[in-house]
Formats: sequence, structure tokens, C-alpha cells
Amino acid sequence: MSEHKHHSTAPEDRLSFGQKFSYGLGAIVNNLLGGAIGFMSIVLNVGLGMNPALVGTLQAIPRFTDALTDPIMGFISDKTRSRFGRRRPYIFIGAICVGITFAMLWQLPAGRSEIFYFWFFLLGSILFYLFYTVFATPYVALGYELTPDYHERTRLMGVMNFMGQLAYVILPWLYAIMENDRLFANSVQGARRLAIVIGIFVAVVGIMPAIFLRERFASQTDGNGEKSNLLAGFKTNILAFVKGLVITLKQREFLKLCAGTFFLFNGIMLVSAFSSYITIFYVCGGDTDMGAKYMGIFGTINMISTLLAIVVVTWISSKLGKRLTFIIATSFTLFGSLFKWFCYDPMAPWKVLLPAPFIAVGMGGLFTLMGSMIADVCDLDELDTGERREGMFGSIYWWMVKLGMALAFGLSGYLLNITGYHVSMGGAQTSSTFLWMRIFDVTIPVIAASLAIWAVASFKITEERSYEIRQELIARRSKIPVPEATI
Amino acid sequence: MKPRKLFYLIGFVCFLCLTTSCQDSTDEIVKDKPDDVKTITITMLAKSSSNPVFLSARAGAEATARDLSDKNKKIDIKIDWRTPEIENAEEQAERILSAVNDGSDAIIVSCSDDSILTGAINKAVDEGVPVMTFDSDAPNSKRFAYYGPNDVEIGERVMTELAALIDEVGKVAVLGGNQKAPNLKKRVQGIRDAAGNYPQIEIVGEFYHAENATDAVATMMKVHEAHPDLVGWAMVGGWPFFSDSLLNQLEPGQLKIVAVDALPVQLPYIEQGIVNVFLGQPTFRLGEISVRTVIDKIYFQKDVEEINEMQLIRVWKDNLGGWSRQLRAWGYDGIPRKYLTM
Repeated sequence: MSEHKHHSTAPEDRLSFGQKFSYGLGAIVNNLLGGAIGFMSIVLNVGLGMNPALVGTLQAIPRFTDALTDPIMGFISDKTRSRFGRRRPYIFIGAICVGITFAMLWQLPAGRSEIFYFWFFLLGSILFYLFYTVFATPYVALGYELTPDYHERTRLMGVMNFMGQLAYVILPWLYAIMENDRLFANSVQGARRLAIVIGIFVAVVGIMPAIFLRERFASQTDGNGEKSNLLAGFKTNILAFVKGLVITLKQREFLKLCAGTFFLFNGIMLVSAFSSYITIFYVCGGDTDMGAKYMGIFGTINMISTLLAIVVVTWISSKLGKRLTFIIATSFTLFGSLFKWFCYDPMAPWKVLLPAPFIAVGMGGLFTLMGSMIADVCDLDELDTGERREGMFGSIYWWMVKLGMALAFGLSGYLLNITGYHVSMGGAQTSSTFLWMRIFDVTIPVIAASLAIWAVASFKITEERSYEIRQELIARRSKIPVPEATI
Repeated sequence: MKPRKLFYLIGFVCFLCLTTSCQDSTDEIVKDKPDDVKTITITMLAKSSSNPVFLSARAGAEATARDLSDKNKKIDIKIDWRTPEIENAEEQAERILSAVNDGSDAIIVSCSDDSILTGAINKAVDEGVPVMTFDSDAPNSKRFAYYGPNDVEIGERVMTELAALIDEVGKVAVLGGNQKAPNLKKRVQGIRDAAGNYPQIEIVGEFYHAENATDAVATMMKVHEAHPDLVGWAMVGGWPFFSDSLLNQLEPGQLKIVAVDALPVQLPYIEQGIVNVFLGQPTFRLGEISVRTVIDKIYFQKDVEEINEMQLIRVWKDNLGGWSRQLRAWGYDGIPRKYLTM
């Protein structure tokens, strides 16, 4: 099964567990911030009585600003030359600012009008997302450049992804904690206090990667051999940004990874609502308590399976290579999605739990392997362009993920309408509605996973090629010393 | 195993243990009740505890009590079920008064006879115990709210459904059940009102009978003999379908039939195409909505709507499976497996 003879990671390319752990702390903060604002936004509707449509608008608008700020931040970070590096200053400042902004965002004064809350939260969340980008984009880019080794990158991403899952353990509890009338008078007060706790956590933990990690390209000059000055010429920078954007979007291997992620991740996201509806209304006959119980157990199994999958995928990748590991992991998700067809059984509701571990494998492997593969693409890009552009690649990749997720959530509502679902009918939907729900729920992820496999199957940077690229880069520039561990 | 890998393995196991223990701690904070929890007892009086409709309503009330108690840590809601075995308005009135004496915090009642129960309800309210009615109202009492069907609208909907099935042309009959029952009278009135919109539909008569399957079927057969050109039935209740006797006496498609109710025992009539449409009551919600409304009123001090209308659910061949599973979820037993897996 092996693609070729395997390379061993050189000692100087290895990252200590402490370095990996430091990077993983950033992932907890990154995922916590992304999820917390969504989970806590329910307070705007339930606690402050804001119109759900306005709440939806509040969540949508910053996504548009994200589309612009993410690649710009990637570009700025890539072009920054400072004695602290290209990434760490932004991670440090960004973590503190985003922590403070998050805490302030939820200090909503009582007794104001709906429109006041709308503008307060809108302006606050635009600022929040701006600082979030300042933190997250260089943080992601830092991960791509911490080690030059093909396998060590996967291990780093494995630790990062594993630790990042911690945030998803915490997130579902946020609303329950805010609503707990033993702790807080009401959910609005709960949100205020909780936001301060999260803000402090973000500011303290988020700066750890900046403190304990060292950049490999911190002192490197750009391709022209001259230090570039960001403010030297606005026009020059704009042109350079557009040119960089175009080059990034023309990088075929990068586009394959984007396509693979887009299909797999969004295929699963697109039908995530369907699974809940089918479980509650078809399997459990409209018994929301029973449906919620099974969805909760499903989520727990999924979480544990994802954690295990990350460990296994990281290990297998060192034996089989990233591309083949991705194909195998995604095949598990494909099988799990097909398996769902046989597990929606109203006479045996527990069967809905069976596909969970299979589906989790592909999702657990996705962001572990993709991060590592994008790092390989950055090497190839340097070979082509002479520049290190991790920031640009990372920002476009994650922007694509976020955009796809927004599209998936938006589209899922339309798909639900197509099935003929009527909310007033509860569990008494027609047989054809349930049939179409199940067809969508199974076929969309199956097709999406197949497309993801197809997209990544022709990814050209194998282990062998990766080491060749590295040798060529070493020949072009002197070998960059790996900084010693600081912890 | 190398010491380093053993170290990672131990670390991984510790992480899982930590995650689990954190969850336990969170459970403690989120789920445990404080010492000063307030117990709210809601007395529930349906018409009859042998009627599956009210057992489903009870299941709804108890599930909602659990749900609200989970979400609001400072209250613990108990449902005090005091429904008589068989319908008896006098007994209901006595039980309302005994619930007041026993310190009930609120009462929800489906009135077997509002003229008998109005006095008991008023007395309870005067004693400081709020009362809400469900399913069957006592409109002249001091109850603060009612949840149940709008009987005139139900009748109108029965006629509208039937008119569509017979292309708005032909002779139809109305099966009315107990002629003295106020809710059924309103439904028949609704049928009459809606029939005015269809000039080519002729109502051959409104036929009343004792509310059991035998009398209902006998009444239907008499009408069939008298009106061989009958094309449809508008029924304000599903009494003829409480037994299986009509399964062999009516041909599928012979007549178009629309009836109120869609209980498990009646489902074979849909499956075989003898009944075209049932208008089913979401009986679980009788208990669910009532308990929510009471808690909104007495605990959250909210202004609640006095009249909260129940929306009936259309049941026909296409959603027989979904409706069957819904009935099971609402606490009904004895639903054939073949319907549950449709």
C-alpha cells in the first residue's frame, strides 16, 4: 500500500511536544471564538427579545467583511518583517484585542431598544471579527511553517486538531450555563459574565503560541532580497496583493485541497440539519425529548470518534502518505453516510448511533491532513515564486471553508422545503417528505465525499515529491535553522 | 512500548478522564436543583382516565413538567392526575375542590359538563387557585385561559375537505354524534356555514346518534338505504370507525368520507381507502400547552392569551406512517408495526 520508501524526520525538524502543545492552545482559542459567538447569540433573541431575522443579519454581515479582511491579513502577515517575526506580533496583539472585544461585545446595557442592540452588536461584532482575523490568520500560517518535515507537519496538525476539539466539548454547554438561574439572574447577565471569562481565557491562552514558538522565516527577506516596507507605497501593495491572490488561486495543488475540503466538509454540513429532523420526526415520531437524547449521544460518540480518528489518521499518514490516508479516511465517511440509510429505523431508534464513528473518521482526518498538505503546497509555491506565502494560502483556504459553511446552512433550508416539510405537521409528515429527506441525507454526503476523493486523488505532492522540493529549496537558499524549543 | 509513547498514551487517557470529569462537574452545576427550589403542583382533571386521548394529554403534561423543571432550576413541577375513571362532571367538581384543599398551585381541567363545573372552577379561583380549561371549555367561568379546538372552524374544515374530494358536486350527509353536546353542535354549524360556499352540494341531513360505534354504523346504514345516490359523509367525530365492522361493509372509494379524529383504532380505514381524510387532534399538546400556559401565568407572571386554539392535523394515506409514529410518540399503544415502518 505504501507509495514509496518512507523518510524519517530529522531531529532538527522535530518539534517538541511542548511546541506542539503551545500551537494546540491556539486552536482551542480559535475554535472557541468561532463557535462561542454563534452559541451565545441566542441570548439576543431569547434574553433581549430581538427579532430572529435581525439576529440572523447580525451573524451574516461580518461574514462579508471577513471575505475581504482574511486575505488582506494573510498578505500583510506574509509581507511583515519585524524582529519578532511575521506572525507572532499579530498573534500576541490579536489574542489580547479579540479577548477584550469579545468580553465587551456582550456587555449589553439593559432596557434599550431593539435597534440600539442591533447597532451595538453589529459594530461590536465587526470589530470582533477584525481582531479575530488579526489573531487567526497569522496563527494558521504559523502552523504551516513551524517545521519543514513532511511527517512532522501532520503530527503538529494532529495535535492542533485534537486540542481544538476541546472547544467543541465546551461550546454546547455555554447556553446551559448562561441560562442557569442558580448562577445568574437571567441569560443576559449570564452572557455578560461568561463573555468576560471567555475573553480572559482567550487573551491569556491565545498569546501562548506567540510566546513559546519561533518562526522559521522570521528574518528571511522576500524574493528580491530586499526588506519590503508595507507602507512604502499603497498602490504597490495593492497590486502585490492582487497579484498574490491570483497566483494563489492559480496554484492547482492548492485548489485540489480547497475542492476536497469544500466538498467533504460542506457536504456533511449541508445535511447536518436533515439528520436532526429525520431522527426527531421520522425515527422518534416527533418526540423531541427522545430525538434530542439520541442527537446528544450521537454528538458524544462523534466527538470521541473524532479524537480517536485524529490520532489514528496522524499515525497512518506516516505509513501511507497523506493523500492515501485522506482517501481512506474519507471513504469511511462515505460508508458511514451510506450506512445511515439502513439505520433510520423507527422500530429501533438506537440504530441512528451506528454510523457516527464512521462519519467522524473523515471529518477527524480532514483538517489534520489538509493543514499538513497546505504546508507542503507552500513549499511548492516557494519553489515557483520564491516567496513564503503561508498567510495568503491559509486565509483563502479558511475563507473558502467559512463561505462554504454559510452557503451550506443557507441551502439546507431550501432543501428542506423541497422535501415538502411543513413545520405545523410535526411528526406527521408525508411518506414522500421523509423519503426525500433520507435521500438527501444520504446521497449529498456520499456524492460530496466521492468528489472530495476525486479532487485529492490527483494531488501531486507525495512524500517523495515533498522531500525533492525541500532539497531543491535547500539548494536555492541556505538551510534555515530550526529554532530550539523554548519550553 | 517506548517510555515516550507510554507517556503519550497515559496523557491521552488522562485527557479523556479529565473531559469526562469536567462534564460531570458541569452536569452538577447545570442540572442540580438548589436547596430553595419551589415545587409547583398542577392538578390535571381530564374527562376520563380510560380514554386514550386523555392519557396522551397526560403524557404531554408530564413531559412538559419535566422539561420546564430541567430548564428552570428554581422550580420543580409536579402533575397531580385526578381524572375520574369514567366521565362524571359531578366527580370532577368534587375533585377540583379537594385539590384546592390539598394545596394545589393550579388546576387544568377538561370539562365534562361546563354547567356543573363552572361553580367549582369559580370557587377554586376565589380561593386563589388559578384554573385553566383544555379540550372542553367552561366559557362562563373564571378560568384564566382555554386551549382546545375551535369547533366552528373544525366543521368548516371538514366541509371544505369533503367539497374538494367530490369536486364540489353531489349529495352529502352529516354525522353529528350527540345532538346535545355543545362542541359537536358548533362543528355541525361550521359544516353548514361552509356548505353555503358550494351551491352544488346538497346536505341530505344531519344525523345524530349515541356516541358509540354500533349506533354510529347503524345510523350510517340507514342513511345509505334512504339515499343511495349519496356521494360523501362529513363527520364531526370518528365514532363509526372505533370498530372494524365497516371495513367489510364499505368499498374503498364507494363514498368520500372526512371525519374528525385519527386514533390508532381508526387507522385501518385510512389504509384501506374507506376514509379519505381524518382531522387528527394533537392530543399530546393538550397537556403540553396547558402546563406551559399555567407556568407562564403563575411563575413567570406573563400575560397569556385567554383563548389558544388547537390546530388539527390532516391525516391521509400519504402521511399514515408519520402520523402513526407521532401517535406512538404521544403515548398511544397498539399501533400496528406496518404503519410505524411506512
